Amino acid sequence: MESTRKQLIDFLSNHQGYVSGQELSEQLNISRSAVWKHMNHLKKEGYQIEGITNKGYRIIEIPNQMNESSLQWNLQTKWLGQSLIYKESVRSTQLVAHDLARKDAKQGSVIVAGEQTSGRGRMRRHWDSKAGLGLWFSSILRPDNIEPKDASQLTLVAAVAIAQYLEKFPVDVKIKWPNDLFLNGKKLAGILTEMQAEQDAIQYIVLGIGMNINHTQDDLHETVKEKATSLLIETGESFNLNEVLNGLLMNIERKYELFIEEGFHEIKHEWEQLAYKMGEWIIVKTHKEWQAQLIGIHEDGALKVRDTDGQQHELYSAEILW
Amino acid sequence: MLKVQEVRELIKLIDESSISDFTYETNGTKVTLKKEQGEVVTVSKSVQEQPVQQEAPQPSAKPKVEKEEPKEEPKEVPAEEPATTSTDFDHEIVSPMVGTFYASPSPDDDSYVKVGDTVDANSVVCIVEAMKLFNEIEAEVKGEIVEILVDDGELVEYGQPLFRVKNK
Repeated sequence: MESTRKQLIDFLSNHQGYVSGQELSEQLNISRSAVWKHMNHLKKEGYQIEGITNKGYRIIEIPNQMNESSLQWNLQTKWLGQSLIYKESVRSTQLVAHDLARKDAKQGSVIVAGEQTSGRGRMRRHWDSKAGLGLWFSSILRPDNIEPKDASQLTLVAAVAIAQYLEKFPVDVKIKWPNDLFLNGKKLAGILTEMQAEQDAIQYIVLGIGMNINHTQDDLHETVKEKATSLLIETGESFNLNEVLNGLLMNIERKYELFIEEGFHEIKHEWEQLAYKMGEWIIVKTHKEWQAQLIGIHEDGALKVRDTDGQQHELYSAEILW
Repeated sequence: MLKVQEVRELIKLIDESSISDFTYETNGTKVTLKKEQGEVVTVSKSVQEQPVQQEAPQPSAKPKVEKEEPKEEPKEVPAEEPATTSTDFDHEIVSPMVGTFYASPSPDDDSYVKVGDTVDANSVVCIVEAMKLFNEIEAEVKGEIVEILVDDGELVEYGQPLFRVKNK
């Protein structure tokens, strides 16, 4: 049933103009009345479908409401999100993705949630994820030619992919090393990458992304009001979550493939062009706090800074007071 | 035991350096690399099965790394502490990457493992984080944790031993 509906949507999406009920019934091998029932169901999900006698059906608009069919509508990726699960409410899409990955879910499987009740940030710090306002999704990746020690570059790859998608709105997006996306000095989105790996082989990676989209100032939690923002706040427009996810998956797939095929080199340059506070002085907290000037990233993704003595350092894991 | 990949990495580093003779010794394995007429020759042999007193890497290895990457991160050459402990063990669980060692899933949780715990191949023993990639490290061997070599929140190097495991 579900898959027939997906086929129906795919068929309508990939077709210019109208498709007749007769054609749909032949293509999908279902009766004319079944086609009609599916159409009614899609309308209930929020699709605007135009049906004209003697011409057929045409999708005019997809619903803003997320569900599996609307999320996959017109999704032109090769593999990322082609297997997609939507859950109204989960504790965390990361947890669901880990479960699925352990049960051999394939490369590119994506889990999207309408709401997360205990979204995870770094070390499970709370991430505000209210229903319908943002996108919270996790992708399962199984890179087979990447060594575990290089896998952390994937966070930077994803950050570049997201930033380049956002630039078209247009907004002035910056990446705060290694993985936060900033608009006007406030956090818009974050990435959490988790890996299961042996010493020399990656079993799987779960790439988790959370993005504030249709939040108004009032929707943001008191504690993060000063630090967080949303696409709506920055642009004054609200967005169709399905379309945003679609665009993000397209960009992430493309960047991921570039990374797998060509390595990190080219993406490194793109990352540096998008870097938050490039050339500026920041405070690094290791065992002590010290001042450093951000000068770029290393070939492996580590943050390159210069201290007050002119000495250069590479940071793989450090708390930075921006 | 050194993995083929690690040996390969070592060869590459030595090859690009001005070092002509390099010896690395870890739990039961000794690797000697010598450059002769510009070529790298690998000599690898097993020494005693039982743990040996661990030596710090040859001093000659360090200046080279520092030349290429000013200050810190001699990441391909694990900076092992000269172990004076006599704890008996069969395996070392090493870090697959440079990063921060976390003993527990979050600051509020208990450690994944403590000394005396029994682990099997799939037991998660810690997390190593680099650039916000959280790597859950599995024991990969079955046995008892006899020693934890790093503290929570400590920076670890590629290949640095984190735990010692004794067969049961």
